[in-house]
Amino acid sequence: MLEPSEQPSPIIVEEALRDLRNRTLARLDGDFAKLVYLASTRDYNTGRYVHDGLSFRFSEPIVERALAAAHREVFASLAVSPLRTFVAQVEQYIRSGCARPDELVTTWNSSEAYRVLAPAADHPLTVRLFMSNVKVALAIVKATLVEHQRSQDPQSSLQLPSPGR
Amino acid sequence: MIGILSLSAVALLLIGLLLFLLRRSEATLSSDLSPLGSDDELSNAYESFEACCGELLDRMFGPDDWDFVLNCAPKQVQRLFLSERKELARYWLCQVRIRAKTAMRIHVAHARNSDKLEPFLELRLAIDYLMVRAKCELVAAVLSLRGPMALRKMIKQADGLSDQLTALLALVSKADALPSHTRVRR
Repeated sequence: MLEPSEQPSPIIVEEALRDLRNRTLARLDGDFAKLVYLASTRDYNTGRYVHDGLSFRFSEPIVERALAAAHREVFASLAVSPLRTFVAQVEQYIRSGCARPDELVTTWNSSEAYRVLAPAADHPLTVRLFMSNVKVALAIVKATLVEHQRSQDPQSSLQLPSPGR
Repeated sequence: MIGILSLSAVALLLIGLLLFLLRRSEATLSSDLSPLGSDDELSNAYESFEACCGELLDRMFGPDDWDFVLNCAPKQVQRLFLSERKELARYWLCQVRIRAKTAMRIHVAHARNSDKLEPFLELRLAIDYLMVRAKCELVAAVLSLRGPMALRKMIKQADGLSDQLTALLALVSKADALPSHTRVRR
């Protein structure tokens, strides 16, 4: 994205990264939510990262670098995490971010929207492991939802059970 | 007589089929190889492969994830998990084969243009390459016959395969860190 001549200083990029972590990412609930947020700051057509808040304080190349670094960092930590942790993260994202968890699971399964979550230049095997884990996590969450639905009144709306079930 | 003729015909047919399959797999591999070709690409492939493999292999073939799925998920999810891990294992094996073959292809291209070949190094490289390919086939056979979870018993073997490839790539890089007149012609 950036020309070699306009490489931003690593110290300023680090400062922007700290700002991003403290002001924006800290408010998000869990690594999976952070990943979804960071992936959404990337323009699907150009692959460039955009963040209005950071752009007030830092130049465009620095913002882009900081967002790309944060994206890679969160993705790498999630992709190699144990499946148990991964499923808990996905469950937390679904529980906190969606009024109709069943709808989200169905939509994600059919549209495979999670494919846009990986950073562009990551290692293909890591990306594949991540995609595979998302599929398995969605299947586990779906099974949990179905089981919970059976145990509930069939007339009541579908809600994800609490973590302490 | 008719029996012998028909048996010969079947044998010829099988040999033809085998040759066709071999050529097809070579062609697939060659088309997969095309994006990699230069010294820089080889070096990048080597670095990225080395950086990610150990932890990923532990995650993919280690017992933790399977134990979790076995204890916490229904049968259909267990089946999905196994099929996903099988696909991952196949992909990983394919990558190892491609990288080994790329390394050799680049090295052969260098060697053709080089006037100072070291026979001992070439022999070692050839043996290492054959060992990596043989181990790939062994892991592939275990994967087909016993599924991805059988690979967790072979994790050391798999890790060894990865290390062997890394060493092979390092050896190729070292052997190819030669005078500029031995660069690959595109």
